[in-house]
Amino acid sequence: MTDPAQQQAAAQRIAAIPTRFPAPMGWWVMFLFALCLLALFFVSVAVLFARGPGIWGNNIPVGWGFPISNYIWWLGIGHAGTLISAMLLLVGQQWRNSLNRFAEAMTLFAVMCAGLYPILHLGRPWRFYWMAPYPSTMGIWPQFRSPLTWDFFAVLTYLIVSVLFWYIGIVPDLAAARDRAEKRRWQIFFGLGALGWRGSAAHWHRWQQSYRLTAAIAVPLVVSVHSEISLLMAAGPVPGWVSTVFPPYFVLGAAFSGFAVVSMLTLWLRAMLKLGALVTPRHLNMLGILLLATGLMTAYGYLAEVFTAAWSGGREAETMWDRFVGPYAWSYWGAVVFNFVPLQALWWARVRTSPIALFLIGLSVAVGMWLERYMLLVSSLYRDWLESSEGLFRPTFWDWSLYAGTLGLFLTCFLLFIRFLPVISAFEVREEAQEALDG
Amino acid sequence: MSGEPSLETALSALRSARGRAFWRGLDDLIERADVRERLAQEFPALGGAASDWRRRDVLKCLGGALALAGLDGCERSPDEDALPYVVQPDGEVPGIARYYATAVELDGIAQPVMGKTRMARPIKLEGNLHHPASGGATDAFTQAALLGLYDPERSKAPAFRGSETDWTHVDAAISSLRAGLDKSGGAGFRLLTGPVGSPTLQRQIGEIMARWPRARWHEWSPLQRRTQGLLLDSAQVVVALDDDIIGPGPFQTCHARRWAERRRAYQAGQGSALMFVAEPSPTITGVTATDRLPVRQDRIAVLISALEAALDERPAPAVLNTREAGWIKTVAKALDLHRGQGVIALGAHHAADLHDAVRRIAARLGNPQPDLPAEGEDLSALVADMSQGAVTALFVLDANPVYANPSFAPAMKKVRLRIHAGLHADETAAHADWHLPLAHALESWSDGRCADGSATITQPLVRPWLAVRSRHALLSGLLGAEQTGLEIVRQTWELDDERWRQTLLQGWIAAPPPAAAASVHPITKGSEVPAPRDEGLTVIVRPDPCVWDGQFASNPWLQELPKPLTKIAWGSAIHVSPALAQTLELRNEDVVRLSVGDRSVEGPVWILPGQQRDTILVHLGHGRTLGGRVAQGIGFNAWPLVGATGEVRLEKTGRSEQVASTQHHFAMEDDEFVRFVDAAGDKLPQEPPRFSFFPPQKSSPAWGMAIDLDLCIGCNACVVACVAENNIPMVGKEQVAKGREMHWIRVDRYYEGSAEDPEHVFQPVTCMHCEDAPCEMGCPVNATVHSPEGLNLQVYNRCIGTRTCSAYCPYKVRRFNWFDLTGGDPPELRAVRNPEVTVRGRGVMEKCTYCIQRISAARIEAKKEDRPIAEGEVVTACQAACPTQAIVFGDVSRAESAVSKRKANGRDYELLREANTRPRTTYQARIRRGDMA
Repeated sequence: MTDPAQQQAAAQRIAAIPTRFPAPMGWWVMFLFALCLLALFFVSVAVLFARGPGIWGNNIPVGWGFPISNYIWWLGIGHAGTLISAMLLLVGQQWRNSLNRFAEAMTLFAVMCAGLYPILHLGRPWRFYWMAPYPSTMGIWPQFRSPLTWDFFAVLTYLIVSVLFWYIGIVPDLAAARDRAEKRRWQIFFGLGALGWRGSAAHWHRWQQSYRLTAAIAVPLVVSVHSEISLLMAAGPVPGWVSTVFPPYFVLGAAFSGFAVVSMLTLWLRAMLKLGALVTPRHLNMLGILLLATGLMTAYGYLAEVFTAAWSGGREAETMWDRFVGPYAWSYWGAVVFNFVPLQALWWARVRTSPIALFLIGLSVAVGMWLERYMLLVSSLYRDWLESSEGLFRPTFWDWSLYAGTLGLFLTCFLLFIRFLPVISAFEVREEAQEALDG
Repeated sequence: MSGEPSLETALSALRSARGRAFWRGLDDLIERADVRERLAQEFPALGGAASDWRRRDVLKCLGGALALAGLDGCERSPDEDALPYVVQPDGEVPGIARYYATAVELDGIAQPVMGKTRMARPIKLEGNLHHPASGGATDAFTQAALLGLYDPERSKAPAFRGSETDWTHVDAAISSLRAGLDKSGGAGFRLLTGPVGSPTLQRQIGEIMARWPRARWHEWSPLQRRTQGLLLDSAQVVVALDDDIIGPGPFQTCHARRWAERRRAYQAGQGSALMFVAEPSPTITGVTATDRLPVRQDRIAVLISALEAALDERPAPAVLNTREAGWIKTVAKALDLHRGQGVIALGAHHAADLHDAVRRIAARLGNPQPDLPAEGEDLSALVADMSQGAVTALFVLDANPVYANPSFAPAMKKVRLRIHAGLHADETAAHADWHLPLAHALESWSDGRCADGSATITQPLVRPWLAVRSRHALLSGLLGAEQTGLEIVRQTWELDDERWRQTLLQGWIAAPPPAAAASVHPITKGSEVPAPRDEGLTVIVRPDPCVWDGQFASNPWLQELPKPLTKIAWGSAIHVSPALAQTLELRNEDVVRLSVGDRSVEGPVWILPGQQRDTILVHLGHGRTLGGRVAQGIGFNAWPLVGATGEVRLEKTGRSEQVASTQHHFAMEDDEFVRFVDAAGDKLPQEPPRFSFFPPQKSSPAWGMAIDLDLCIGCNACVVACVAENNIPMVGKEQVAKGREMHWIRVDRYYEGSAEDPEHVFQPVTCMHCEDAPCEMGCPVNATVHSPEGLNLQVYNRCIGTRTCSAYCPYKVRRFNWFDLTGGDPPELRAVRNPEVTVRGRGVMEKCTYCIQRISAARIEAKKEDRPIAEGEVVTACQAACPTQAIVFGDVSRAESAVSKRKANGRDYELLREANTRPRTTYQARIRRGDMA
């Protein structure tokens, strides 16, 4: 741990980041890159709306392709933010304070990207609201047995709770930024966001209550939302999907991929915004341990899946075998290798605290988890029951472009966030430092 | 302003009027002459328009309109009195649609149909239920003929050297031709037609030949030479030697129906239904057979002599391998056992002496004598005459020789006057001076000879909307007669009005057609079959099962139809045996160059299990260069290989070309998608009931379907019938290759056994209408729900396109509108649609509905009469078309319904029973064809 005084000084700087951004050139370069990808997103969506989902590689039998596997991937990434922020808050892990703000932001933007996919993926996206239970003149409600209906509720709830949690958390810092801002426009900008926060004891009291309450709502949501997502597959009578291991398997995989992305973002921000004093090797170490732990749990899911398939025999076993040796074996083995092989390096503390190594392992896991989502979806659907209906799925340019586009959307939002809002919870860091000084 | 004063004057005139001056409205007043004048000054356009209607005129007109409406509703009236099919037989769907008995023609053989018209638009062809040749069934070509009528690429007006003109110019040219022919006695005039089956056309050609004796008629019939259907219904044993008797072609419906009749009797324990086939490449007939012998085409002669020897109990004269010897022994035994009840068929392309030998065998066994194939004429004589300049005028009537024969076009250039009449501006039209657009069979009067030898009258279903003329009108015009199409046909038949009426109503004439007056046309010998060679590669050229000789190449319903054995849509391939592919290291889709002597074609390879090792199969009908956007640029043209001789070579080009196949995996592996029993009367083992959380569904009616895999021959008639009935859009090659074809019923094909000689089985798959349907559970918006009658419904306008239903469907029968597939259709294609079926837009799921529109129609009728829906009242489109009646549909809640009886026959099973979906569509196990009963 670095010197609390130094940390406190660093915390002072955080609030000043938006107004005196430390790396304007780097930010602009990245922002332009993100904007290019964002433009690709809008082009892809425009083409999609103009021509229809046929621009993708989806077909019968693989009616779900990139949109759904990317949806699961994005949502999984989002979960890590909630876990780091809310769960560690509830269990009183103070070190989270250096990470929670941008992890929450990551959640928010990842859920945005995720939530767009199922809507874009619809044949008639302009009718997406039919999934919502509203008293329509047609007198028809959603079909409540469908996992998609619950999916809709789950993602919507999660998005709302994530926004609330992130926003409640940032209010005191907005107030701090407001007070420090010298230019009028910044004062107004932060002032509006701060909701009249004056830092009184009553404010803090209510804030504590609401923040912890929201956290208590958010944490179980992580489990329920991704369990629900897994039912999208597990509820269907498709060999390779119908498995009770899916909900925990998905939740753990989600946390795993999320921690990977959090690690990557942490290291990136740490380098760009020179936050070495706040995001210390201790944080990296903790992230590495989390990554390793969730990774091993995910690996257990893999083993459990193989075991249940072999135990069930029949089509389940065939599908499993096909994943090993079939046309999509690259995605299975790719997932295994990218997810679990570099991960083993994290057993060593030196690797965990090495920014470059941790970044690369995080990247590998993000790729691996993407492959896993793809593998689970496509390798099950392309050959389910009848040999006659087998058909391969080949992604098209528009599949990739929309995916790249959502990356652009994520990056753009995230870059705007780090440019204009306090990326680290300054008051919590201060609080932590103060406690350290006092203690 | 002149309007106000005029009204003013009118009103003042009214005020000053004395007595009872009635007026009905101010308009009345304006009718006065002075007002009209002013009106005309002010608004010249309205001046004339203001009507002079008097009450009587209005009533007259109303009466007239009513009378006209009574004649044909809001339809366009036909030129002559076509008569609707008044007697509704059981099972026909009544309604406001009208049915006309008529026919379409394939290679000179008429296919009897009932044309269903709505608002004067033909929208569906059904088989003529009472016709002895079809019994209400149709084949894929007949179903697709409807689209041929509406083909937006059909020629719309006559053309002279490529530029559009009108019929007055044509008539002038024809009359000067006539004058010339009268002078010369027809010297140098040639008429080229395809196979002619129409008695009227034969009569007209006879008249032409009689008037101009020096003219010549070439009846070019490279494919079809059978003249009458085989009597398969009474045949205990059928031997088909390189003859695809129940395969695609003009005799398919008739033959398949007769074969199925025999097969059903066999299933019921009456006699045998043996079929033995020796053939170089698998055909529908071959894969349906009891014992199929893959053999080189040039070894058929050896087999025939061996069979003759075996029946004489002489030793076989030629060296047979053990497989062949065994086959011959079995066949001889079966033929001997069923003397007088066997049919032996030999492919028409085989030499005349072989046909003689077959007739000898038939005579020996007391079997019915097979007809000798009609001597077909190829184009060589005509080409030779044209090259020598002996032809001054050529009239090509409904044939496309330039496409089929590479030497035709250069020879044709030497002809001074070239006239082509056809449906499309095709390759021949491009080389002709005059291109005359022909009327489609469904919009002209004609007649024809059916597969069973009966004759039929073809009534128009609709008046032509293009500037087209029928074949008869063209020939009649050539002869200088001024007759309508109806008059020409009636002249042939000489029936009194009452009998004529009867004929039109029932659609066929039992009496044999009048003797053809034109039997005097000179005959040239067909192309010789190359001498037998037992080694080296051999090429066989067959018509395409979907686009035939190329005449259907512009029909997307047929182009997108997966070929029965290869499941290839949109295009052709060079089919090789698995062994040859292994030797030459060929894989599917490798482009190869196939040369025979100096002629060659290039195309992608397709490996066809069951094909004889050294045989290479190519299909005609593709590689069109003109004739419509659908036809052009699909596949390669194999016509140059017809009649080619010389060494056969197969060379890799190193390229590859995508082949759009709808089924990529054919092995059943360990699954029992298609089940078998060993012999007729055997039953499948009883299976314990499956458990479910859901209560069983009880309703009446409860719709269900039974498909007998022992009767299904994979002919695809159901697929096209479904397309026509349910407005199914076509998507094109690229989309089919991606797995996005839209067919609601598909015919799966599986192999069992070795790649060299596998057993083939077909399995039509529709929506199973599962009682516990996974799709219904998956849909988030209630777009797929269950009806009280047990139908799995798809509500298009509620569907938002999540595709969950498809992901969850174990049978993958759901189809998704990936694009807007229908919005851009031209008006012609909109007109062909069935108005009772919703046209689906972009982004919604669709699937088989069990023809719910037909169920609704029957329900409405039943409700009107306050009775339950009768058995057999609902006939689905696939069921109606099926030539073997493999598909039965009806109410499964009634034990006495046909479908319940079928399901109770002991061979019934559920596809993917382990999925526990309780499907309403079930299958009847196939009886192993190895039976010798």
